[in-house]
Amino acid sequence: MKQQGLESKLSACSLEEADKCLFEYLHAEIVNYVLATTSDNKDGEEELSRLEWMGFSVGYRIIERLTKEWARFKEELDMIKFICTDFWTCLYHKQIDNLRTNHHGVYVLHDNEFRLLANIGANGSQQYLRESPRLLAFTCGLLRGSLANLGIVSTVKAEVSALPSCKFNVQVQRI
Amino acid sequence: MTIHNLYIFSKSGVLLYYAEWNRLNKSGITKEEEAKLMYGMLFSIKSFVSKISPLDSKEGFLYYKTSKYTLHYLETPSGLKFVLNTDNVAQNVRNLLQQLYSQVYLEYVVKNPLCQLNEPIQSELFKLKVDELMKNSPIFLNRSL
Repeated sequence: MKQQGLESKLSACSLEEADKCLFEYLHAEIVNYVLATTSDNKDGEEELSRLEWMGFSVGYRIIERLTKEWARFKEELDMIKFICTDFWTCLYHKQIDNLRTNHHGVYVLHDNEFRLLANIGANGSQQYLRESPRLLAFTCGLLRGSLANLGIVSTVKAEVSALPSCKFNVQVQRI
Repeated sequence: MTIHNLYIFSKSGVLLYYAEWNRLNKSGITKEEEAKLMYGMLFSIKSFVSKISPLDSKEGFLYYKTSKYTLHYLETPSGLKFVLNTDNVAQNVRNLLQQLYSQVYLEYVVKNPLCQLNEPIQSELFKLKVDELMKNSPIFLNRSL
């Protein structure tokens, strides 16, 4: 009986914990693995395109599952809004804080407390600013992949000026 | 009530982190030497306690007290050691150490992919959060001594 009580208590707190952590730890290891297997290019910058590509395929697949209950989107802005709200909540347990657009295919998604950066620095700490782009490459690919499956060809760039907030620049490519 | 200083040791005895708040008496040796002495003493106390205990004790060594201060000790199953020196009237320090482990160390060191485990902690955010936790606890009362 006592054993059972302990078990249920454990599972209640650890299920949620595992749910939240598993992705974070796995993501960290993927980043390490990719950085260790690819050599830096000649500018001394880290080679993150493989990471971005992984994100792309994950995003491409995830969108199939997430949109199964949704009606077709009318226009581009609706898709971006879906990404900012439902998609982001599903993956990072919060919504994008700010969305800006110039109505000509450029969208800026602003997250004030991005989950993968939240444990690294706060209040505009400068300490890990140089290393933080490697934690964003996967998410850039994720955005690009999900948009690609919705029919938007784009390039996505991330920008960090003060941890833990970051901006994702989505540039839609018109043909 | 007041908090003097804090040591965090890894499983193998590396000093991961040191911080002090109201420490009046300096040891006169370098921080590294002091950490080695401290770790050695704790190691001895631990084996002493487990050998001398007349009953099978679950928790082992918890704290010791001198006329001036109390040393509180928390060891996690993974072998991390948290050591906090306070004055003799401080209450509930064990709770504070548990909080330090679960709310600060886990969050800002273990979940920080840029922090190497088992190496001295460099993260400024961790430093900030440790300071915050200690200063917000009721045990921390900065008396002008």
